[in-house]
Amino acid sequence: MPSPILKVKDLQTQFLTHDGIVKAVDGVSFDLYPGESLGIVGESGSGKSITALSILRLVPDPGRVVSGKVLFHDKDLLQISDEEIREIRGRDIAMIFQDPQSSLNPVLRTGFQVDEAMLAHGKSKAEARSRTIELLNKVRIPAAASRYKDFPHQLSGGMRQRAMIAMGLANAPAILIADEPTTALDVTVQAQILELLTDLNRELGTAIVMITHNMGVVAGLCSRVIVMYAGQIVEQGPVDQIFENPQHPYTWSLLKSIPRVDALRHERLRSIEGIAPDLLHPPSGCRFHPRCPFRVEKCFTDEPLLQEVAPGQVAACWVTMERARKEMGADELVDIRPGAASGVHPGEII
Amino acid sequence: MAEAAVSGLPVRGPSSAKSLLRAENVVKHFPAGLGATVHAVDGVSFEIREGETLGLVGESGCGKSTLARLVTQLIPVTSGKIFFGDVELTKLRGEKLRQHRRQLQMIFQDPFASLDPRMTVGDIVAEPLDNFGVMRGRKRNERVQELLKIVGLNPNFNNRYPHEFSGGQRQRIGIARALALNPRLVVCDEAISALDVSIQAQIVNLLEDLQREFKLTYLFIAHDLSVVRHISDRVMVMYLGKIVEIADSTATYSDPKHPYTKALLSAIPVPDPKIQRGRRLVELTGEIPSPIKPPTGCRFHTRCPIARLPTPCAEVEPPLEEKGRDHLAACHFSQDV
Repeated sequence: MPSPILKVKDLQTQFLTHDGIVKAVDGVSFDLYPGESLGIVGESGSGKSITALSILRLVPDPGRVVSGKVLFHDKDLLQISDEEIREIRGRDIAMIFQDPQSSLNPVLRTGFQVDEAMLAHGKSKAEARSRTIELLNKVRIPAAASRYKDFPHQLSGGMRQRAMIAMGLANAPAILIADEPTTALDVTVQAQILELLTDLNRELGTAIVMITHNMGVVAGLCSRVIVMYAGQIVEQGPVDQIFENPQHPYTWSLLKSIPRVDALRHERLRSIEGIAPDLLHPPSGCRFHPRCPFRVEKCFTDEPLLQEVAPGQVAACWVTMERARKEMGADELVDIRPGAASGVHPGEII
Repeated sequence: MAEAAVSGLPVRGPSSAKSLLRAENVVKHFPAGLGATVHAVDGVSFEIREGETLGLVGESGCGKSTLARLVTQLIPVTSGKIFFGDVELTKLRGEKLRQHRRQLQMIFQDPFASLDPRMTVGDIVAEPLDNFGVMRGRKRNERVQELLKIVGLNPNFNNRYPHEFSGGQRQRIGIARALALNPRLVVCDEAISALDVSIQAQIVNLLEDLQREFKLTYLFIAHDLSVVRHISDRVMVMYLGKIVEIADSTATYSDPKHPYTKALLSAIPVPDPKIQRGRRLVELTGEIPSPIKPPTGCRFHTRCPIARLPTPCAEVEPPLEEKGRDHLAACHFSQDV
């Protein structure tokens, strides 16, 4: 295996609020390998976006990266000067966001905004311009040369996201971080953008970090996945393995809670009891324990660390699904707990 | 509840069931300035059967939310008729219409915007009761507590305010409000789209349980076809103001008769990497045309992978007609899909 191009080590990002400190990212470590496509999944508030923003030092106030390392080619991005990080942003590591509408400047021509990404890193105007048209073609914007002059409002949502991707790719970065890039788009457009990202990853060898809440997106695009919950990584490993044999009860529940469009028969969804914890007062022990169907006594008090559960796969759980299956009948478990499924039929027998 | 609990699955509405709501050639146009017209809903006919869940999918701008508001008569039709049972809703005005609305309730998308932040949860849930003067005093409060319990909330939360609740809990409050008057039809307009995945499952399960217990009929609108397929007995697909297909939810997936349905299905990623990698995307060219100037003939012809141009697809509008048992589609070449 080649050595990683990005190493995130024990990242801690906190928000100082009126009510106290919110530990939005709490000890996150992972490696990113050249040319791979890594998914980071989690629900709102899990810390997935803040992790990405921390890498590029873009965390909004009152957030602060309080400790940890982000090593890019052995350079710690958290320690270098503002000037140096500005050089790296957009040139080596680029980022695209969820809402292409608000990420583009409405009063500048779309093509010029792609140019800017290159002008900022020392290309001449003429060079930038010809490359922009090439890029717009590459992201499959039809009639790229004439679209160059369009303002963002003249483009559709899907087009705008394509323009954002062109901007991200302008300097042929080693890493492209995509933060929910398809969430605001219709499904048919989402599918096109995902296909585009898959092709670009393959053709250009750009490593992609895909931040999403959609397990289907991960399944289609990524080779490895990180699952986050309440500011921490709970499971990480190869996509095929995690989808087939998740070891953390959260990952397992998440996969069982989504209806599949190819489902052959109607099966009741597995819902996850309760709600995500308040990060001002995270639960003791394992942060998932209040919602976990397989918790044991230890989970209330002791925090589990990530441990290898299969080759290349780690999970932070005292029990793990293997034991939950063997000893706790996880496979037969149907959602009947009062309040868990719906709170409507306590004592119902299914 | 007892017999429903035994089967453990939502009651599937039989195809012979009586129709509860019927729309006949319903049209809704909005003025768009400078004499232009938005053809939001452009001549749709369908029925919702007693006890079923009819799913409605389509991408942004297809007219699905407008249709929801027409069904509940929150906005008047431009032309066409909507019947609720034997009553023609589109003929009713004022107080008469208001009385009929008791049986037609709606659950909205945004649990943050659809609850008044200055009202207590108890007053929010009781508002329909107060509006219609159904219950007062202790009886009213008991009903509120009962409703909160039904949707899985602590009945003693009635004095709290919406901001004290999470998105999923707020959606439960919205559901309790919708159930207050014992409606027969509940229109869920993107009722779970704003929620996190694990919470979506809670609400979907809740809606299924409530349907069983109170014999509700749902019109379930969403852009996520996997959720719609899961919860619906039949699925209706809209494109640019028209219904392009209606079929039972199994046939929708296994045997789509409209190329748009097929494309929509292929675009939804399956959360299984081995299957997802092998799936082929039916790529649609171009973008959704403007509903101000919809294409001639079949509205889908500008993006259709199997269209024969110019004739008939760009010239003749295909009627929504029977293509199989209880399976309607509007396509000239449905046999090629």
